[in-house]
Amino acid sequence: MNLKDYIKDKTIYIVIMVAVSIILAVFVYALGNGIYAAFYTSLILILSQTAALILEYFHKREFYYKLLKNLDKLDKKYFLSEMIDKPSFLEGEILYETVKQTNKSMNDEIATYTSAMKEYKEYVETWVHEIKTPISSSKLIIENDKNSTTMNLYGELIKIENYVDQALFYARSNNVEKDYLIKKTTLKELVNSVLKKNARTFIESKISFEISALDKVIYTDVKWTDFIIGQILMNSVKYRSQEPKIRIMGLNNENSATLLISDNGIGISKKDLKRVFEKGFTGENGRKIAKSTGIGLYLCKKLCDKMNLGISVASNENCGTTISIVFPKSNMFV
Amino acid sequence: MFGDDILASIFIIEDDVKIRNELTKLLEKYGYECESSDDFQNIVEIIMNDNPNLVLLDINLPVFDGYYLCREIRRKSQVPIIIVTSRDSEVDELMSMSLGADDFITKPYNTQILLARISSVLKRVYNAQPKDTINHKNVELNISKSTVTSNGKSIELSKNEVQILHLLVQNKEHIVSRDEIMNDLWQSEEFVDDNTLTVNINRLRKKLEEIGVKNYLITKRGQGYMV
Repeated sequence: MNLKDYIKDKTIYIVIMVAVSIILAVFVYALGNGIYAAFYTSLILILSQTAALILEYFHKREFYYKLLKNLDKLDKKYFLSEMIDKPSFLEGEILYETVKQTNKSMNDEIATYTSAMKEYKEYVETWVHEIKTPISSSKLIIENDKNSTTMNLYGELIKIENYVDQALFYARSNNVEKDYLIKKTTLKELVNSVLKKNARTFIESKISFEISALDKVIYTDVKWTDFIIGQILMNSVKYRSQEPKIRIMGLNNENSATLLISDNGIGISKKDLKRVFEKGFTGENGRKIAKSTGIGLYLCKKLCDKMNLGISVASNENCGTTISIVFPKSNMFV
Repeated sequence: MFGDDILASIFIIEDDVKIRNELTKLLEKYGYECESSDDFQNIVEIIMNDNPNLVLLDINLPVFDGYYLCREIRRKSQVPIIIVTSRDSEVDELMSMSLGADDFITKPYNTQILLARISSVLKRVYNAQPKDTINHKNVELNISKSTVTSNGKSIELSKNEVQILHLLVQNKEHIVSRDEIMNDLWQSEEFVDDNTLTVNINRLRKKLEEIGVKNYLITKRGQGYMV
């Protein structure tokens, strides 16, 4: 608020004031007083009113100046109501009350949704744990009665398990920081555990693995990283071609180690490539293979971002896809 | 002390009857003796009376939760405990370890992994060595020396060959599918593919023939192998 704006805002007041002064001067003069008496009467009126206006200007300017400065500085604008002092003029008070009340109402609304979301997340987590019991018992039942039919079912069970895990990690992905533990491990340990866990799927899909140079020591959360590597390998299975091959390799960098997972699958077209980490994006491959959900890589990217791991993708259509993940080699960088 | 044919007893604390029964079936197939109980109120006393070699403990249980039971058992006994649970947060794992559990496995587990963990905990705690040699139809497999002997003649086997033959002998008179054999090899971190398996099997058969064992490893077309 500068003086010009303020004067503009007060135009009507000033116009009336000047008009009244003139009328008053004429009136005083008409009553038989001298011209000086008329002049001074209106001068006093104008001066007193101007003084009042200037006082009001400085008074309001201080309040609005602070208000706007705070608004500008604040990262989250809704904290504004906490930053303003109650002003001592009417308009300011009205504004102050309005801001306070709308803010409170919004806070209540947010609290409703936050608790609803929390409840939903807790429900998903409980549900996931519940469903793991029948999955476990089904796997055991099959283990005790292996034949071609049950082994077929076993494959399907693994898929269910994978989707269930995805749901769990999705529900948790917003609070990664609350549930993670950085440990010293090696690329080999991480990869081997995923390969062992999903062995049947890879064997059934006739995928041959070429594994090299994974003896790199890194620091990461094992559970989350397991999930990420699992998702990537499952994608390689899903989008495999004839004679599928997956090459897993470790690379040493100065302060980090890179895990490279390359397949010779159907690949990703150039135009889809930059969008593969978007939520719900399925692209051309999604249309070719109906099972695409557009969640797997999105989650991988999101979790990697939260854990400060670099993830990137390179691909040639019909030749294969390479995903690389960069892990810190010291826990100082985590 | 324990091995493929020697009994180690395992007490299963699990409230889901189906899992309990199937787990019992599976573990018995692999030569373990299993006990369990529905009386969760007095489960600690029951375990103390039963005096098993190992306890498999679920966390979500009626009456007392697994953590409480773990602490109670630890107070009275040094029996190895493996916690098996669908709760998989870091907190759960840390908690289990701090309460004195020997290992922690999350559901749904790969049964091969469960078996491996059980055997490694038993090995660690009781210093148990699995049985060295295993016999079938006059063919003796020595696992620690990686040799196979028949009619006084011996020949050395590779690590994969030992494992394949071991699995086949364990499942003697039953067909073991190629996928099954590969899965077994994968669980010991030998990530072989189809071709490698064929090569391994052929070499194994050749070596057996070299010591005069013929028609021992039978191919069941489209189904797998059998000894």
